[in-house]
Amino acid sequence: MHLPGRSALGVDGTGIYVHVPFCSKICPYCDFAVTTPGGGRRRSYLPAILGEIGLVCRDAWRGAPPPAPADTIYFGGGTPSLLEPDELEEILGALARRLDLVAEPWLGLEANPEDVTPRRLAGWRRLGVRFLSLGVQSFDEDGLAFLGRRHTAAEARNAVAVALAAGIETVSVDLICALPGQSPASWRRELEIATSLAPQHLSCYQLTVEPGTPFAVMRRRGRLRELPEPAQGELVLLTHTWLAERGYQPYEVCSFAVAPEHRSRHNPKYWRHAPYLGLGPSAHSFDGQRRWWNLRQLGPWAEAVARGRRPVEDEELLTPMQLALEELMLGLRTVEGIELDGYRRRHGVDLVAANRATCAALGRDGLLTDDGGRLRPTTAGLAVADAMARSLDLEADGAVESAEAGSSGPRA
Amino acid sequence: MHQIRNFCIIAHIDHGKSTLADRLIQRCGGVADRDFRDQILDSMELERERGITIKSNSVTLDYQAQDGKTYQLNLIDTPGHVDFSHEVRRSLMSCEGALLLVDASQGVEAQTVANLYLALEYDLEVVPVINKIDLPAADIERAREEISEDLGLDPYEAVLASAKLGQGIDEILEAIVQRLPAPEGDPEAPLQALIFDAQYDSYRGVVLLCRVRQGALRAGQTVRLMHTGKEYDVEEVGLLRLKKDKRNELAAGAVGYAIAGIKTVRDIAIGDTVTDASQPVDTPLPGYKEAKPVVFSSIYPVSTEEYEDLGKALDKLALNDAALTYDKDSSSALGFGYRCGFLGLLHLDVVQERLRREYDLSLILSAPSVRYRVRLSSGEELKVDNPSLFPDPSEVESATEPYIKASVMMPERYIGVVMELCRERRGLNTTFHYLAQGRVELTSEMPLAEVLFDFYDRLKSVTQGYGSFDYEVLDYRPTELVKVDILVNGDPVDALAQLVHRDKARQRALHYCERLAETIPKQQFKIAVQGAIGGTIIARTTINPFRKDVTARCYGGDITRKRKLLEKQREGKKRMKRVGSIEIPQSAFVAVLKTDVD
Ligand SMILES: Nc1nc2c(ncn2[C@@H]2O[C@H](COP(=O)(O)OP(=O)(O)OP(=O)(O)O)[C@@H](O)[C@H]2O)c(=O)[nH]1
Ligand code: SF4
Ligand SMILES: [Mg+2]
Repeated sequence: MHLPGRSALGVDGTGIYVHVPFCSKICPYCDFAVTTPGGGRRRSYLPAILGEIGLVCRDAWRGAPPPAPADTIYFGGGTPSLLEPDELEEILGALARRLDLVAEPWLGLEANPEDVTPRRLAGWRRLGVRFLSLGVQSFDEDGLAFLGRRHTAAEARNAVAVALAAGIETVSVDLICALPGQSPASWRRELEIATSLAPQHLSCYQLTVEPGTPFAVMRRRGRLRELPEPAQGELVLLTHTWLAERGYQPYEVCSFAVAPEHRSRHNPKYWRHAPYLGLGPSAHSFDGQRRWWNLRQLGPWAEAVARGRRPVEDEELLTPMQLALEELMLGLRTVEGIELDGYRRRHGVDLVAANRATCAALGRDGLLTDDGGRLRPTTAGLAVADAMARSLDLEADGAVESAEAGSSGPRA
Repeated sequence: MHQIRNFCIIAHIDHGKSTLADRLIQRCGGVADRDFRDQILDSMELERERGITIKSNSVTLDYQAQDGKTYQLNLIDTPGHVDFSHEVRRSLMSCEGALLLVDASQGVEAQTVANLYLALEYDLEVVPVINKIDLPAADIERAREEISEDLGLDPYEAVLASAKLGQGIDEILEAIVQRLPAPEGDPEAPLQALIFDAQYDSYRGVVLLCRVRQGALRAGQTVRLMHTGKEYDVEEVGLLRLKKDKRNELAAGAVGYAIAGIKTVRDIAIGDTVTDASQPVDTPLPGYKEAKPVVFSSIYPVSTEEYEDLGKALDKLALNDAALTYDKDSSSALGFGYRCGFLGLLHLDVVQERLRREYDLSLILSAPSVRYRVRLSSGEELKVDNPSLFPDPSEVESATEPYIKASVMMPERYIGVVMELCRERRGLNTTFHYLAQGRVELTSEMPLAEVLFDFYDRLKSVTQGYGSFDYEVLDYRPTELVKVDILVNGDPVDALAQLVHRDKARQRALHYCERLAETIPKQQFKIAVQGAIGGTIIARTTINPFRKDVTARCYGGDITRKRKLLEKQREGKKRMKRVGSIEIPQSAFVAVLKTDVD
């Protein structure tokens, strides 16, 4: 099931993702698979996740030949920091025993600031956590209140400082920009506070109002007005320029690191079509061609596991066209962009040839560069990567027809 | 015959007609409790969802009155919206009386007055009913005063009711029996029956709803429809209970149905007179004016493959909607479609909604237009409702457009803003008079075209929802007609062309340019969107290159969702309509052409 030339992408190892679906309070913008820990749900999780690992290990790749051993493990959520270090240890132990891992996999963990205590930090370090992603979201009290977060700005600052002091290799701060009414000046203040704390990594997302969330209801009732797109675009550009000046280099639209070794080693696997195995409710897995995903809700997921069934909700087999499209869409989100030769070899598509006029226009507008080997988005281009992915064709105009005509013509 | 009462329920929209009909039906045991649902006569899905009545509905009830006798009540629930006033007119023709409802919290509104006048035109006895007295905002005294001053009826004859809670129902039934006249007519005379409505039934064909004036209508009889001259054999007659109740005959005074092997509603004319072919009467009953379409729009399927389905769907709708007209049409931007005629914007909206819903079609509608009369230098006169058929301006000598008499009722404090709105809409001879309770009725002679564009919304907003609107078509009057083209990078988009008054051309063109500029996705180059009359540019906007929608977050391994969104957007791009060098997505047409409907 290996795609030809994946090694050229530089992400060989498999990634393992473990979804921890609890949050003590659900944020009004959140559309992840989350629930509150009450009602015995929190207690049901550990046996179920261990059960899933036990089920999965018999045939992790569902019939496909296993790819390379896993070299990253990421606990996301939800709020993985709601698990005690010894619970995490149990899960890690099961993973190491049952699945194919390298000796010391890179380990990432998401945590909410209010859970960051010296005791837990010590525990996480002991377990080998190298990347701690702190769900700060804002350093501004009004912003935190709007986002429905439980921590205060002071707690957030404190959490970053303590995590750094504890010697975690990479401390990352998550921030959300483009809150309603946010001005460039107020967003710059957030960035100032974040950088003054000197974490090695930052993730900056724009607020998006997802269907089905309380924010979506508020928007429908006119009680929430999203920042207009141009203003959002301005904030994205501000983020990139401001952070770059302070040594935070972007490697993806929303991700910044002070040095390459502080980048997430796990997330790029998603962007580069590396294989990954997802465990826990709603987690997605990918083997290079097939993607499948677990039941979204904790109850049904745990129940399937209890019955000895793999808790997969559905799967899809990506067509060559879909693989090509995903690689285009994801590649344009990264600073490295798309390596053209490899892309042509993998998908049989010469992106530049199929899009001469568009590439030239995007180049003129300062959104995309083509240095011969790679199509790379500029900083301004990263901010509109989705739009670029929409406008680039995967087939030259009329290429299909002329190819057919060519093959049947001489014989006739 | 003395024990028959034929009446309809009329009122302004939403004053509770269908709810009152429910109570009357229930009180007369017309429906078993387990079969009952609110607004039971509103059977169309669309009626139920919107809570409005679109078609009149008849039902026959048996009422045991306080005098000990059992009366046969033929009730017709009518729609309140002005677009369907022809339905009210038809219903009135078959009745001797009407219940005129007034919402106690709203008072007399524009269609209350309009419907009362209609009832008086047909010489009906009117019983006013003050409804919704249970509402906290109900003001019975005010309603009484308005009934007296604005309608000229005796306020102390008004029955107080709450259709919702079932209060006053017995009083209403007694008033029907005591105050409305019984029908008259000689049962022995030759047959004379009025067709006041028709339904299409996929098994039985057309079901005629008739009011027998004299003689009797029987199964087995050969009848002639006097207006069309066609003859049919009557297969079945009966009363319309909630289900058909088959009878041997419908005698003079009766209201009921007849089935006579008629294929489509197009084969008959509402208002026609049915007579016995072997013993015909000399003169038909006074006829009824045909409901003529006054608003026109082209309907295109989003995907060209659906063109045929659209045609079939329109054929089917037309079986039961005699007012809907349609002819083949085509646009270079949108492909093949149909030019359709409607009674008004609500009718248009109902038709398109049914096409979408019942036939699962995705549609684009061109801007609604009225029908202009254009006189050419050659002396020839054309009727033009489709901008693409507008002749070369150099050949046009003059043009006329339909005018309406608009009437708006509102609290006095809005008179200024409404007058201003009328002036803006080229209203002439705007006058007003004071009604009871500090309200005014304003009338204005206004081009119908002005109502088609954003009028309801504006009226609602300037009167903060207190203004109510009614109109009737008056006549054709001279106009300065121009055709406005919308150009994208210099190429005209035929589907966006419009016929408008010269004074409105610039404003309208700008509106369209701006909406289009908002919805055409930015491309790699600058796009000019212009409005033009002939070669003269009268409005312009530009779309700056490339749409800067910010890149959305991408979290975790769920790439599938993000890819699907992208696939959908790219699919949309494929379906764009090419205009010159620019591709315009369907969604842009939809957004630009979105009509506002009351
Ligand atoms: N409180 C109260 N509400 C009522 C009463 N009668 C009707 N309504 C409500 O008023 C609304 C409109 O009622 P309908 O019976 O559909 O009105 P209608 O006159 O048939 O409306 P159209 O057919 O659209 O003209 C509904 O929400 C009813 O529940 C009443 O006596 N009291
Ligand atoms: S903490 Fe994160 S995962 Fe939990 S509810 Fe808030 S946004 Fe969602
Ligand atoms: Mg009704």
